[in-house]
Amino acid sequence: MSTHTTEEAVRLDRDKLFAARLHAARTRPYLATALFALHIVKSDRVPTMGVDRYWRCYVSPAFVARTPVEELAGVWVHEVSHLLRDHHGRGDRLARERGLTGVGDRLRMNIAADCEINDDVYGDGLVRPKGAVQPHKLRLPADRLMEEYVSGISLGPLTLDLSWLDCGSGADGLEREWDLGPDGADGLSEQERDLVRFRVAQGINARPGSTPKGWRRWAEEAFHPPQPWRDLLGAALRSAVSGGGAGDDYSYGRPARRSAGLPGVVLPSLRRRPPRVCVIIDTSGSVSDDELGSALLEVAAIARAVGGRRDLVHVMSCDAAAGAVRPLCRSEGIPLVGGGGTDLRTGFRKALRSHPRPDVVVALTDGGTPWPSARPACRTVVGLFSRPGVSQARRESNPEYVPKAPPAWARVVEIGSAPTAR
Amino acid sequence: MPMTALAPTSQLDVAADLLALLRDSTTEPRPDDQLEALTLAVAADLPVLLWGEPGIGKTAALTQLAAALDLPLTTVIASVHEPSDFSGLPVVGDDPATQGVPMAPPDWAVRLVRAGRGLVFLDELSTAPPAVQAALLRLVLERRIGALRLPPGVRIVAAANPRSSAADGWELSPPLANRFVHLQWTHDHDVVVRGLGGTWPRATLPRLDPEKLPGAVDFARRAVCGLLAARPTLVHRLPTGETQRGGPWPSPRSWDMTLSLVAFATAAGSSRDVLSSLVRGTVGDGPGLELLASLDRLDLPDPEDVLADPAGAVLPERGDLRQAVLDGVVAAVRARPERARWDSAWAVLVRALETGAPDLVVVPATTLASLRPEDWDVPAEIEKLAGTVALSRRADRAAVAAKGRR
Repeated sequence: MSTHTTEEAVRLDRDKLFAARLHAARTRPYLATALFALHIVKSDRVPTMGVDRYWRCYVSPAFVARTPVEELAGVWVHEVSHLLRDHHGRGDRLARERGLTGVGDRLRMNIAADCEINDDVYGDGLVRPKGAVQPHKLRLPADRLMEEYVSGISLGPLTLDLSWLDCGSGADGLEREWDLGPDGADGLSEQERDLVRFRVAQGINARPGSTPKGWRRWAEEAFHPPQPWRDLLGAALRSAVSGGGAGDDYSYGRPARRSAGLPGVVLPSLRRRPPRVCVIIDTSGSVSDDELGSALLEVAAIARAVGGRRDLVHVMSCDAAAGAVRPLCRSEGIPLVGGGGTDLRTGFRKALRSHPRPDVVVALTDGGTPWPSARPACRTVVGLFSRPGVSQARRESNPEYVPKAPPAWARVVEIGSAPTAR
Repeated sequence: MPMTALAPTSQLDVAADLLALLRDSTTEPRPDDQLEALTLAVAADLPVLLWGEPGIGKTAALTQLAAALDLPLTTVIASVHEPSDFSGLPVVGDDPATQGVPMAPPDWAVRLVRAGRGLVFLDELSTAPPAVQAALLRLVLERRIGALRLPPGVRIVAAANPRSSAADGWELSPPLANRFVHLQWTHDHDVVVRGLGGTWPRATLPRLDPEKLPGAVDFARRAVCGLLAARPTLVHRLPTGETQRGGPWPSPRSWDMTLSLVAFATAAGSSRDVLSSLVRGTVGDGPGLELLASLDRLDLPDPEDVLADPAGAVLPERGDLRQAVLDGVVAAVRARPERARWDSAWAVLVRALETGAPDLVVVPATTLASLRPEDWDVPAEIEKLAGTVALSRRADRAAVAAKGRR
């Protein structure tokens, strides 16, 4: 602690604050590094406790005086969670992406971030502080991310008593007047912040058994955010489509248009061979129509963009038996037949036997299927509908359960994970 | 001619005046971490790949870098070239069977070789067709254009759009990705607004300090070897999964590049943020962060030094680092329990209590107390730690209260 804060803190009960931090660190040992990295700044302008993005923690002496130690410990963990989960960075991204720039929007983000934290950090020795926002009080489901909560929150009667709520710029990205800013004393640089988050994640990954599910998920994703599946599916498909043997490339098969001006020089010319794409859709009961619809639209759009010609995209529905291969000529709906168990092997066989043969096969599936034992004679992209809830439940009821993973020769893109979450 | 001289100023002249006014801007010095990282990587003669959306000032940055390094800049827009522009144009001579077909290099390459030095900027790598990219990579990695070989004074920087916004299938295969230093290029909102208002930033570029060179190499070797000796699995790890595709990953080659970059950043006295983007851009996020974390530990005082001189020990201000030092001291006593070391550790804890937050001291104090054999007396210093005992009791009471309220 630097000297100026100790001088100012005449009325701040630091011992109470530190006893609370000790209790928090004892009940959540994996957060100790982060809790100890926070730098305390006494402030009479914060309503309760708040953080900024430089890992300073602003504390109101009056709030400390009136709050019991066990509740203060909960507030410590709450505030540090905002920083570990990068709520300010995610808030900034939300503001950019969805144009949420008003003060009210930032308050909604703060509430949404609080909902994300409060539904899973308390209990097990840690008391929920009085007045903490809970999703069910706003008639929202539990276990969601800040990004998902924001759109469900409107400032109205339900949030009326929350408008005092303020966890500082660390919670939503909006600078507060009491913030010391980037040049103030004792802030952590971006690299130092990353390192604290990294150490906490490492600690959790080293001892996952004793850590709640929400934090384990955070630790797994802290430095490997969920995949932005639209972008990845597009990139995988474009790459498969434009590799050697398909798409635009140079060839010496015909003289180049520059040849006339350069006698004696041999030049290649640009040839276009549009790729043929076959999309196999898993229509077994477990994939919802909405998911299929969104993924199929995406594939069709990408394939059209790279191939140039719609008639080169074919679609086939497949459960235990493969349906007919149809060209995607019209923009209206594609008939999806099926509903039973899945065996994509028949789909692959049928796709590879069709004439003309496809250059790329795209399989959209939830993965509950046997796969071809050998690499098919064309590039393969698998769009995998992730089922974290289902596989989690299966894993818990049967520890031996291992989901059938797609084979190594396919490029796999997980579809349906939240694009902006960390 | 006299007609135009008498006529009122032509519209084009007025337009030229207006343009001159628009271009009249000043510069101000401003630290720029990404430009500093780029400069260090170029100075270390490593191929750099800038990832960034189109139109965010990559070319402007390269112009500034070339001026700072005093190198003539050659920009090659890859997408408007053909593969033969880089691999050489086959020119059929009189008797190809005996003389062979020479691969003629393009004019800009000839000029570069004649000048002996320069900065080649391969722009828009991601929008070029695969065959052009293949030819370009030979230029980047082997420094060859047709029959010519670029002299060592030539530095190469490439730029690509992120995969999500790339127009076609461009992506790096793992072996190619491993040869580049990947730098993410983003624009700074404030810089752009201020620049459009007439004041552009002028980055102060890092200068290598000749006196620091041997120390920098020693430091870099210690850092990288120390980490890899303790974590052998970090040496080589092929990327898996779509998100990491085309990005940096650890291998002996990229660790070698990291070693150079750590040495260059140290010799230039660069900040950790600059080093962070360089290291993470070479071996990837996970291994890069581990290296940076171990660098932090290199900076912490050695537990044995602290034990040897508890009164003179400088403990870090930041709570988490201080906790790491105190834990290290107690661990050192546990590893070699001797009476004098035990007493000295108590002195360290008292010092920590006097200079910082008391809750940090509780756990090391409890552990240290448990290391006491029966025949050792309790030192007088323990009296001074009474406050932490009270603090610890208070936390215990809170735990009981929390249980009662569930």
